[in-house]
Amino acid sequence: MNLLDRILRPSRTASAHCDGPCGVYDPASARIAAEAVLSMAKKLGDLQGDDLATENTRSRYIAIKEEQAQIAKQELLILWTDYFKPPHLEANPGLHTTFWNAAKLCSRNKVEVSVEAAQALLDAIKEVHDVFWASKNRSDVPFYTAG
Amino acid sequence: MAAGAILSALARRRFARYALTGDSMAPALAPGDYLIVDTCAYAWCAPSAGEIALARDPRDHSRVIAKRVAAVAGDRVTLLGDNPAASTDSRDFGPVPRADLAGRAVWRYWPPARAGPLRALASCVSTSASVGKASSGGEAGSK
Repeated sequence: MNLLDRILRPSRTASAHCDGPCGVYDPASARIAAEAVLSMAKKLGDLQGDDLATENTRSRYIAIKEEQAQIAKQELLILWTDYFKPPHLEANPGLHTTFWNAAKLCSRNKVEVSVEAAQALLDAIKEVHDVFWASKNRSDVPFYTAG
Repeated sequence: MAAGAILSALARRRFARYALTGDSMAPALAPGDYLIVDTCAYAWCAPSAGEIALARDPRDHSRVIAKRVAAVAGDRVTLLGDNPAASTDSRDFGPVPRADLAGRAVWRYWPPARAGPLRALASCVSTSASVGKASSGGEAGSK
């Protein structure tokens, strides 16, 4: 800390904040879960055979798909109900529809084994990603995917 | 000489310096801004809509918050952040008692490029009605 800053820096702080540490929310967690769903859907489609070992692997893939689709849904609902506020809705009138569709796609990925449904979920989360970062006036946050 | 020292001491007592944290007053104020606050501003005069006020956080009196006065109704002052998407304010905790106001931000002295007087926003009153009743959670939710 230089001398000037030491002299000028006030000893008191005024908080112009939102509750809790900012940055606690991030659609990346939903995206990672959705990527796992997509990966499991692809692996299930590729899996051949019905011997015990293959059945075991298939069961594990299905369990992971189920679990990750649920995680994606939870992460989406947290963003929807906790992060987004009325001014965001005014700026994005389609916000509820975006989340409704994304949450429904989580359920669809539990019911089905479908690469197309998993990709649709990832696409829906990309929409959420775009709205989320736009709400923070950020256009520099890439939507990473493993695939 | 002595009079100057007394005036200087009185001025130091009246005007306090605060460093700002958080984004809820963007774009008017940014984190890292250093402010001069008139701690006696509301001792004699009622707050006016559009002014940037400092107040004790009604949920934690040890903390001071900086928000804009959106409306004044008797002894109750509605405080809102300029950046409603990143602000916990009277939408969450309701109007604050006037006695909890700690002063009015009158001047920004750092950073030099943005230094200058902090003026009240005349348009604040009209926006307060639309967002004043909006309910919202803060960034702290169930996560």
